[in-house]
Amino acid sequence: MGDVSAPDLISDLPQSIVESILTRLPIRDAVRTSILSSRWRYKWATLTQLLFDEKCVISSNDRCKVEDSLVKFITRTLFLHQGPIHKFQLTTSHLQCCPDIDQWLLFLSRNDIKELVLELGEGEWFRVPSCLFNCKKLTRLDLFRCEFDPPPSFKGFLCLKSLNLHQVLVSPEAIESLISSCPLLESLALSYFDSLALTIIAPNLKYLCLEGEFKDICLENTPLLVAMSVAMYMTDDIAEHFEQSSSCNFNRFLGSVPRLERLIGHIYFTKYLSIGDDLGRLPVTYVHLKVVELNQVSFEDMKEILVVLRLITNSPNLRELQISGSSNTLATIDAPDLDFWDDERPSDCTFKQLKLVKMTDMSGVPHEMEFIKFLLANSPVLEMMSISPCVYVMDGRLNMLIELLRFRRASAQAEILFIQD
Amino acid sequence: MSEVDMAVIKPERLQICSQMMNSYICLQTADGSIQQVEQEVAMFCPMICHEVIQKGMGSSKNCAISLPQRVNPAMLSLILDYCRFHQVPGHSNKERKSFDEKFIRMDTKRLCELTSAADSLQLKPLVDLTSRALARIIEGKSPEEIREIFHLPDDLTEEEKLEPLKNTTDDPRIRLLNRLYAKKRKELKERQKLKNDEVEEERADDRSVDDLLSFINGDNGDSKGNKTSKSKKKNRKRKDQQKSTSTNETIKNHNKELNGLNSVRCSAEVGQKSWATSNLLDVEDDIFASKNELDDGDIDDEIDPALKEKIDRNGHVILEFHFKAWCLIFFNCLVIENP
Repeated sequence: MGDVSAPDLISDLPQSIVESILTRLPIRDAVRTSILSSRWRYKWATLTQLLFDEKCVISSNDRCKVEDSLVKFITRTLFLHQGPIHKFQLTTSHLQCCPDIDQWLLFLSRNDIKELVLELGEGEWFRVPSCLFNCKKLTRLDLFRCEFDPPPSFKGFLCLKSLNLHQVLVSPEAIESLISSCPLLESLALSYFDSLALTIIAPNLKYLCLEGEFKDICLENTPLLVAMSVAMYMTDDIAEHFEQSSSCNFNRFLGSVPRLERLIGHIYFTKYLSIGDDLGRLPVTYVHLKVVELNQVSFEDMKEILVVLRLITNSPNLRELQISGSSNTLATIDAPDLDFWDDERPSDCTFKQLKLVKMTDMSGVPHEMEFIKFLLANSPVLEMMSISPCVYVMDGRLNMLIELLRFRRASAQAEILFIQD
Repeated sequence: MSEVDMAVIKPERLQICSQMMNSYICLQTADGSIQQVEQEVAMFCPMICHEVIQKGMGSSKNCAISLPQRVNPAMLSLILDYCRFHQVPGHSNKERKSFDEKFIRMDTKRLCELTSAADSLQLKPLVDLTSRALARIIEGKSPEEIREIFHLPDDLTEEEKLEPLKNTTDDPRIRLLNRLYAKKRKELKERQKLKNDEVEEERADDRSVDDLLSFINGDNGDSKGNKTSKSKKKNRKRKDQQKSTSTNETIKNHNKELNGLNSVRCSAEVGQKSWATSNLLDVEDDIFASKNELDDGDIDDEIDPALKEKIDRNGHVILEFHFKAWCLIFFNCLVIENP
C-alpha cells in the first residue's frame, strides 16, 4: 500500500488551504475524508459552505428511498458539523414539504447563516418557518417554490444584499415592505409572480430582474440601478388594466434611473412602457446607458416605436442595440403613419457611439425598414448591423434586401450582415 | 500616513526608485541561496511586494528578501514561471486558462509543496489553482486510493471507522449520566404504565406543612457532610412519597409548598429538581424507588443485590456530583445569610 515511510504530503497544509480544497469537493467526498486518517477525522467538520443536491446520495428509481437517504444525510452532516455555517444550499426536485427542512433551518439560524439557497421540488410548496426571519446575518436569500409569510414583528434583513424569489407565494405588501426594509439590498430578482403591483424602494439597488405578470411597476427610489432585465407576461386582467391606466408608465419605470447601463426587456415590456400619456416631456438623459436589448417589439404599434425612439435618442452613449420584432402581419406595402418618418421623426439625433446593432425576427414591415434606415443614416461610427429575418418570412426576404441596398449609411465602415438561419 | 511616517519612508522610497531602474530584486530562500529576479515578476507576489514597498528590502544582495521556509528553490522557480506569464497584461483569458492547465500538470508531491509555497507568499490565484487541482485528484476516489496518493497513515481502528463521529467536547461523565438517566426513565415509564393499569385510587398527600417543616428542620443538624445519612433521609422522603401515585408530581407539589422556606437543605434538595444536571435526582429516585416497592425498611439493608452493584459502580459518580452541588448551594446560602 505504498511507501509507509514516505512523508504525509497533505495533512500539514494550513487549515485554510485544506478547507479551500474540501470546499471544491462535492459534499459527499468532503465528508468521506473523515475516515482517511486520524488527522483528517474532523477537518471537514468546520467547513463553512454546505451544498447539498441529489448527487449526495446513491440514485435509485425509488423516489421515497432517495428522499429518505437525502434527509438522513443532511441531518447527520448538520449534526456532526462544528462551528458556523455561512452558506447552505439545497437543490432537489424530490423534497418538497418536509418537517426536517424546518429543523435544518432552525439549526442554521443559530449558526450565523449568511447565504441560503433553497430550491425545492414541484408539488406542495414549502412553508418557510419563522426561524428564517431570525437569521440576522443573512446576505443572500434564494427561494424556489416556497410560501413566504413574514411575521408582523419582522423588521427586515439588515445585511441582505441579494434576494431571489422564484415561484414564491407571498403577499404584495409583504414583498414591498421586505424590499424597503433591507437597506443594503443590491440585487433583486422576482420571477413568476401573478398580478403584482409593485413599488420598489431600494436606495442601494444595482441589479433588478423581474419576470412575471405585473400589473404595475414603479421604481420609486432606485438611484443606483445599473442593470435591469424585465419580462412582462400578459393576461386578460392585465390587458384590461392597461386600457384603463392613465399614468405614464415610461416615467414611472425609467424616470429615475440615471445610472442605468444595461436595459433588457422581454415579451410585453415595450408595450407596457408605451402605455400612458406623456404629460409634458420630462427628458431624462441616460448618460451611462450603453446596452439596450428590447425583445418582441411590435413595429405595427406606433406607440411602441415611439418608446424605442425616445429611449435611444436620450442615450448619447449608447453602444449596442438589439431589437427583435414581433409583427403578426406579413410585410404589406401600406401601413399607417408611414409619413411619420419623413415629417416628425426626431431630428438632430446622432448616435455618436453606436457601434453594434442587431435586428432579429424581422418581418420586413414598412416601419421596421424605416427604422433601420433611420439608424443607418444617423450612426457615424457604426461597425456592424446584423439583420435576421423571421423564419416565417420566405417571400419577403428579397424585397427586404432590395430596400436595404438603397439605404444611405452615415458610417463608411458599417457592415450589414443578413443572416439566413 | 502621518507626516513623520512620510519623512521616515522617503529615503527608502528613493532607494526603491533607483532600484526600479535596476529592476532586479534579490530573493533569499531558506537554504541561503540568493536569486536575482526581474522586478515586475517578483512584485506579482503580494508578500514580496509588501517587503519591497514597506521595508525597502531586496535592492541588493545584502538586504535580500528572505522568503518563508516553505519556499524552496525548485518551488520558487515554478512560482516565478507562473508570475512571469501572468503579470503580462496582454494575454487573453483563454491563453491564461490554457497556461494554467498545463502548468499544474505535475506529480502530487510537487503540487502539495507548490500549494504550501504559494500560500506563504500570499499568491491567492495560484493557491486557488492548486487547490482546485488537488480537489480534482481527491474527487471520486476511494479512501484507500486517496491514502496511497498522499501517503496518509491508516491509523483509525476498524471500530472508529464504523462509529459515527463523536463530539470532541463531550464530557464522559455527562454522557454516562445521560445514558443512565435514559435507561431509568424508560423503566419509570414502564412502571407508570403498570400503575395506571391497576387503577389506583388517588391518595392525596395529607401531611400538613408543619409536619414537613419539622421533618426538614429536625434533620438539618446532622446532614451536613454525611453522604449515607443524607441518602437515608432522602430515601425516607422518597418512601413517603411512594405512597402516593406518582413521584414526580408530588415532588413538584412539595417544591411549590416549600418555596418560601429558607431552609438550606430544603432548597438544596428541592431546588435541584429544576437543575439540568440534576436529572441525577431522578436517577437516584428511580434507583431507590425500585427498592421501596420491595420493602419498607431502611435502604442500606434492603438493596437488591443487582441494583446495589449498579449503584456501587455508578452511584459514586452520581452521589459525588450531587454532594458537590449540594455543598455549593449550602455555602452560597451561608454567604447570603451571613453577609
